[in-house]
Amino acid sequence: MTPLELEIEQVKSELVSMWMLVQSQLNKAKEAITLYDKDVAHEVLVKEKRVNSFELKIDRDCENVFALYCPVAVDLRFLLAALKINTNLERIGDIASGIAQYVVDSPANFDMAAMESTGLLRMYDEAINILADTRIAFENEDTVLARSIFKRDDVLDDINDNSPNTVAEVIKKDAGLLPEALYILSIIRKLERVGDQSKNIAEEIIFYVEAKILKHAKSSGKLTEED
Amino acid sequence: MNLSNAGYRNSKSILFQSVIVFFAFLITIPLIIVLLYIIEKGVLQVNWHFLTNVPKPVGEKGGGIVNALVGSAIMVGVASVMALPIGILAGIYLSENSKSKLAYYSGLCVDILQGVPSIVIGIVIYYWVVLTIGYSGLAGSVALGIMMLPIVIRSTEQTLRLLPPSLKEAALSLGVPYHRVILKVIVPCGFAGILSGIMLSIARIIGETAPLLFTALGNSFLSTNLLKPMESLPHVIYYYATSPYDDWHDLAWGASFILLMFVLLLNIITKVITRKWKIQL
Amino acid sequence: MENTIVKAENYNAWFGDNHVVKDVNISINRNEVIAVMGPSGCGKTTFLRGINRMHELIPGATAKGKILLDSQNVLDMNVIYVRAKIGMVFQRPNPFPNLSIYENVVAGYLLNGIKVSKADKDVIVEKSLTSSALWNEVKDSLHKKGTFLSGGQQQRLCIARAIAMEPELILFDEPTSALDPISTSSVEALFHELKTKYTLIIVTHNMQQAARVSDRTAFFYMGELVEFDDTKQMFTAPADQRTQNYITGRFS
Repeated sequence: MTPLELEIEQVKSELVSMWMLVQSQLNKAKEAITLYDKDVAHEVLVKEKRVNSFELKIDRDCENVFALYCPVAVDLRFLLAALKINTNLERIGDIASGIAQYVVDSPANFDMAAMESTGLLRMYDEAINILADTRIAFENEDTVLARSIFKRDDVLDDINDNSPNTVAEVIKKDAGLLPEALYILSIIRKLERVGDQSKNIAEEIIFYVEAKILKHAKSSGKLTEED
Repeated sequence: MNLSNAGYRNSKSILFQSVIVFFAFLITIPLIIVLLYIIEKGVLQVNWHFLTNVPKPVGEKGGGIVNALVGSAIMVGVASVMALPIGILAGIYLSENSKSKLAYYSGLCVDILQGVPSIVIGIVIYYWVVLTIGYSGLAGSVALGIMMLPIVIRSTEQTLRLLPPSLKEAALSLGVPYHRVILKVIVPCGFAGILSGIMLSIARIIGETAPLLFTALGNSFLSTNLLKPMESLPHVIYYYATSPYDDWHDLAWGASFILLMFVLLLNIITKVITRKWKIQL
Repeated sequence: MENTIVKAENYNAWFGDNHVVKDVNISINRNEVIAVMGPSGCGKTTFLRGINRMHELIPGATAKGKILLDSQNVLDMNVIYVRAKIGMVFQRPNPFPNLSIYENVVAGYLLNGIKVSKADKDVIVEKSLTSSALWNEVKDSLHKKGTFLSGGQQQRLCIARAIAMEPELILFDEPTSALDPISTSSVEALFHELKTKYTLIIVTHNMQQAARVSDRTAFFYMGELVEFDDTKQMFTAPADQRTQNYITGRFS
């Protein structure tokens, strides 16, 4: 492996580690809302700092590779994608800590029935799955999987689009749940953002991987592929 | 690395260096001795009279070597006129076409020619030229010219071969025809080297005696006729030094001194030329 | 006006039995900077030298096919004429060591024995040296030998020498590989200027240089023209795997 390849491997593995961390942040935030566990919520808030430092580290690493190796073609595209994915992951990290913050701020536990009826839990699971699948697509450079993310994001959008109605119904049933219902609405809004970020990431994956799947033998038709 | 015997190794290295320096110094001694001896013996003989008169018969005082000076000058001149164009052109060919078969064989011939003893060349010329037109300065010139050839060819070839090929490419890429590239770029750039080769070849042949013995023969009178026998410096030295008369021995010393000075001068000029006109590449 | 200046059609070149350039088809436009890159021995320099027929100077070298310069096949033209029309700059700066800076610039005229008046020569020298961004540095020492200049200056002198012949096309054979980085950037900066008047074809080992200076890039591999495309496209998303392997340094 050339030194440049090693550097790129390094960026890639850092990105995957950050990804895992962000996934666990999302999972923990979910745990916090379902169990109304303020300790877990605090843990998410504390770990948010690690997400941020990951982001800075990856930014700096990419910067160095650009400066020292002048990457071109697939390497260049990978690093550009890595920079953007890095930002997207950091935003998802922010979202997780935002959700955790609601748990800390909320005076009472969230009503399980309300979370079910608004589709929040289903949405949450799907968001977590989407994020995990984009990671797998990234690791395996799997553009088919990456493309499937766009479709799956529609589920999140639907739940989000319906949320004014579903939340309104919760409030209609029991006006006492009003503050909780608003929290639920906010969480749904945030999870919708997770879907959007994942979609962006999927686009970056396609952008960088497709550079490798090259359009063969454009004009002359004589060129043969070696591998 | 084991450095425990560094002191011993160091002194070995110093010893080796001193041996080299010593021998480098040693080789200058024969030259100095010869120089001093000939100067001592010859310098007193040289005066205006010596340079402008022909030798006197035995018993008469005085006499000079003007016939030998003129003869040598004419024969070397004629030899150069014959050998230089051929030598330089052949040298250009060899440097330009180093890979051709012809170049290989002609290069081989040049090497062999350089190794041929001068007396053998004299004999050949005797059979070719002297037997048809008789003993003459021309025959001597031909013999000297043949001796000059290999030196001129090789020095021209070596000089031109040292020129970077990029120089020729630069000229060719400007659309310059081949003959102009050679004449206007290659030869001018190698001029100092070619000239020093010429000087060295003259210095070499001016001292040749053997090929002149039975071609130019020798002549105790001043002669400028190329078709008649002609005197030369080395021949006059040989002739007078082997005679039994002291007066003639003095003449021989004087002639040796002149010859030596001339060769020395040529060598020094060569060095100056190569240093001064050396083209910075 | 026809915009294509050079067009190779099924150009092939050999050294003896060694087929070094294979069926190259390429079309180069006026006022373009073309970078030609590829690993050593890929035939890129041979192709370049084929354009002004310097290739055939090497014993045993042969060429077939067409290289059209303004729709005339250079392989059928008079060599002297072809080379006068196409300038060339070499790997190592090679000013004529026996000539002054001034004489070097007009060497194409001097060596060809073309009579040019002193006044005209002065104009040519100033114009060419200005175009090669050397005039200000050497205007006071025009009659010194060209070899006293620095490497970068010598190379710009060689460029001036090529420009002086008013070529349409200038070929560069790894023009900065013998230069230090400062000299290299001075020569590279010159390419941008020269582009307005001439068409440049630059063979280079330095990929970053190809990326920096050229409009389009040709990639040669094993004697074939593998890819010829917009330089930006080439360095972000090359179309051929071999190109990608080469430019990203993953070559065997």
